[in-house]
Amino acid sequence: MVKLTPAQHHLLNQPFEKRIFLEGPAGSGKTTVGVVRMLQLLHAGVPGDQMLVLVPQRALGIPYLRALASPEAPPGGQVSVLTAGGLARRMVDLFWPLIARQAGFAHPERPPVFLTLETAQYYMAHLVRPLLEEGFFESISIDRNRLYSQILDNLNKAALTGFPIEEISERLSAAWNGESSQRRVFADAQHCAMLFRRYCLEHNLLDFSLQVEVFRNFLHPSFLCRAYLHDSVRHLIADNIEEDTPFAHDILREWLPELDSALLIFDQDAGYRRFLGADPESAIRLAAACHETLLFTNSLVTRPGMETLGEALGNVLLIYSPHHSQPTPPQKNDWKEILNFPPQSLRFYPQMLDWVADEVARLVESGTRPGEIAILAPILSDALRFSLANRLDVRGIPYRSHRPSRSLADEPAARCLLTLARLAHPKWNQPIEPEEVIHALFIAIDGLDLVRARLLGSIVFRKHSRQLSSFTQIKPEMQERITYSVGNRYETLRTWLSDYAAQPEMELDLFFSRLFGEVLSQPGFGFHTDLDAGRVTANLIESAQKFRQAVENAGGMEGTSPGCEYLAMVRDGVIASTYVSSWQPPVEDAVFIAPAYTFLLYNRPVEHQFWLDAGSNAWFERLYQPLTHPYVLSRGWEPGRLWTAAEEYQTNRETLFRLTLGLLRRCREKVHLAFSELSEGGFEQRGMLLRSIYQIQIQETRHG
Amino acid sequence: MDKSRSHPETLREVQPFTFSQSSLQDFSDCPRRFQLRYLFQLSWPAPIAEPIQENERLTRAGERFHNLARQALLGVSLDALHESVLASGESNLPLWWQHFLQLIPLLQVGECRPEYSVSVPMGEHRLLAKFDLVQYFATEQRAVIWDWKTSLHRPPRARLEKRWQTHLYPYLLARTGLPRLGNASLTPSGIEMVYWFPHTPDQPERFLYSEEQFQRDEESLQAILAEINRRQPSQFEQTANERHCHFCVYRSLCERGIQAGSLEEMEGDIDAPGESSLDLNFDQIGEIAF
Ligand code: SF4
Repeated sequence: MVKLTPAQHHLLNQPFEKRIFLEGPAGSGKTTVGVVRMLQLLHAGVPGDQMLVLVPQRALGIPYLRALASPEAPPGGQVSVLTAGGLARRMVDLFWPLIARQAGFAHPERPPVFLTLETAQYYMAHLVRPLLEEGFFESISIDRNRLYSQILDNLNKAALTGFPIEEISERLSAAWNGESSQRRVFADAQHCAMLFRRYCLEHNLLDFSLQVEVFRNFLHPSFLCRAYLHDSVRHLIADNIEEDTPFAHDILREWLPELDSALLIFDQDAGYRRFLGADPESAIRLAAACHETLLFTNSLVTRPGMETLGEALGNVLLIYSPHHSQPTPPQKNDWKEILNFPPQSLRFYPQMLDWVADEVARLVESGTRPGEIAILAPILSDALRFSLANRLDVRGIPYRSHRPSRSLADEPAARCLLTLARLAHPKWNQPIEPEEVIHALFIAIDGLDLVRARLLGSIVFRKHSRQLSSFTQIKPEMQERITYSVGNRYETLRTWLSDYAAQPEMELDLFFSRLFGEVLSQPGFGFHTDLDAGRVTANLIESAQKFRQAVENAGGMEGTSPGCEYLAMVRDGVIASTYVSSWQPPVEDAVFIAPAYTFLLYNRPVEHQFWLDAGSNAWFERLYQPLTHPYVLSRGWEPGRLWTAAEEYQTNRETLFRLTLGLLRRCREKVHLAFSELSEGGFEQRGMLLRSIYQIQIQETRHG
Repeated sequence: MDKSRSHPETLREVQPFTFSQSSLQDFSDCPRRFQLRYLFQLSWPAPIAEPIQENERLTRAGERFHNLARQALLGVSLDALHESVLASGESNLPLWWQHFLQLIPLLQVGECRPEYSVSVPMGEHRLLAKFDLVQYFATEQRAVIWDWKTSLHRPPRARLEKRWQTHLYPYLLARTGLPRLGNASLTPSGIEMVYWFPHTPDQPERFLYSEEQFQRDEESLQAILAEINRRQPSQFEQTANERHCHFCVYRSLCERGIQAGSLEEMEGDIDAPGESSLDLNFDQIGEIAF
């Protein structure tokens, strides 16, 4: 049973029918009281199926789900824990026949096809690729997949902010303050967005933006959907509304007067998901629609030094600029106890990583639980994740990451399956490299080492024929070297593939499933007891299946099969390059390696944080996004205003302040600042984060 | 090795656990399957039944039917739904839909709660039911739980009678009542469980519940939960009944065969894996990393 503070008790003593707006800093016990309020309502007899917990993203709903899954929750209907986007999608799925025609879909009689991030990227690539050949976007150099995702992002921002998609380029251009050639890029992005939207309407495809728009413009006003929601959402708890979008806030504003109870929870100094449309200014306005605003002020998490350092950073980053007065030094010096620096200056990047791993090992040896340590970077590249993972492995420290260190298509099991799929479908004419075949045999056949895999692969595979030849055709002395047991397994695999190729083509996901079940996971083959290979295969199948279903439901594609197209898209990096769904079972007691923003949104305080590469400018600068803009496309932006360099600089300072404050408020013991003189690329490091901390030190020394 | 890839091996490590009819049935059919699916949370994507395409088609048709039924019961225009059935190109769906249309007048008596889920604590765990439809007759204080079964072959009544679903669903409804429909406490004898088969609509299987059955079910639920809780990792043994293995995705891991069993022999009481104790529908945008 959690021990509650007087402020929490005060909130829980409020009558249910009161609409409460709760505000406070991270770590002041807001979510805890949200969870207790939910249980309080359930114990008071409120039917669970009339209650909605709205969160901006999945991770933030976990405390509520945990409580609902515990025996403390009373018997009854299930509480829904949803995001606003999830709610929109559910409603569109349920009431599709009501609005499909009116919303302009060409085939209202057919079911909607919900696009995942992957499949949306695929359709965008399908439409934009020919335009790239015609010279679209030629003035910018950007990875194609990032280009596709930024066009989708613009559509999402328009839907979440609530302006027509026709205005995207107009808004971006009006705020642009640089070379005029960029306006052409915005016009190209607008053209692609319109093309994509038209294609979606013609083929019943709903990307995230269209799900939101259809719900907002057609379903939410409809009588049946409104009646359904009115009946199923009588009690509402909306947590972390500062991370949610104006779309979510608009729904809340409409619902609030009619609800039987409501608790809105706002985290001060946050709004980390601005890149995804979060709008804290829009969230705070909801306070006016509530009966009362309650304030939690005290941190239940951090030591006083954290607050002192937070304030000092605020002085440096928010108030001080070269034209203004000097920042005031920290009022207390308790902040020094919470900072840990490397004992001597570290020149090179790998030395910094070694220091981090050593410090983590030292902490664990002295009794800190690994789960109480987070290693945070501004951006976590695969290479960095891998380097850290290796160092922790060597020291025997358990760790977990917000996603696996490789993309799905790079997983050995997935690479093996993809190569075997190309071998089994010679008609698809997909290129196959000998190295890929050697790797696939090495992974697929148990007991085959790399040397013999190379020998076997180089004999049985000929690049021009794209086929495998029989083991029986190999010279006996070579057969002996490879061994007969391996030869038998190889023959089982080869025969299976050639039998398959002789029959009518099967859907690719079903092909993977059968190959996995009948060969690769059988005794004598590489996946037999490899539980990770099973998970990777399941993910690949899910990705291929969603792709196929999206393509089939949208009326198929001309001249090629979905399986063939899927393999080509994987090769291009459009698909299976990121993990959208998590496939790692969570392990609680492990060091958490993540980007700093991801850690904030997991919202789980730890004792020790390592701020990696603290000298890097990546802590301060916004990601390069030439096609979109989180501020210009937000609701608060005045159309026609220019986005200046000074504004960019000041916004970056504010963002860095909010980020560091958020981290400090989620740290119980110590922040370990890890930095090296030279960056990974060999450049001197003089980033704003480190400079600000030095500045605080200097101010304090001056003021004695 | 990535240290994050470990998993719990006993139920004691995953407390609290939410038991559904599928997980209880899995344990009864094969304790090893329960361990692999719910404790190891092991995705093992082998075919369930052959022909694999036909099985997939039937599964999708079943999902489609459930969705249609829900939409119809929530008041979506039957004409629009009918149009979508015809456009689906799905061979079983028009007949199933036709049969369902004939059933609708019967379902319009009393009050209806389609797709209704309840959960109840039991010891350190919870029990969960997802009803396709609960129909409530206020004057008689009587409730009917409807479950749509779209599988190709209907299981014999005796087998249905033994399934956990037949016991768990009425038990949980008796525990929770229907507070939204004005009845917080239904007596067990006022509850009936009906399996309705859209391809043989005139032969539903009905099971009346009773006070005695409620008591027996409570005891057996407590006993099975305690039994699962007690087991050590090595005590989740493989089933002796290899029929279960024909339609089980883990057959290669357990060395219980190569090919999946024939769809023709698969009875409708075999569940496909994939049900999770936290079955939530989150949108795609939430997981995009910064
Ligand atoms: S294959 Fe057979 S023994 Fe193995 S888990 Fe499945 S049912 Fe149990």
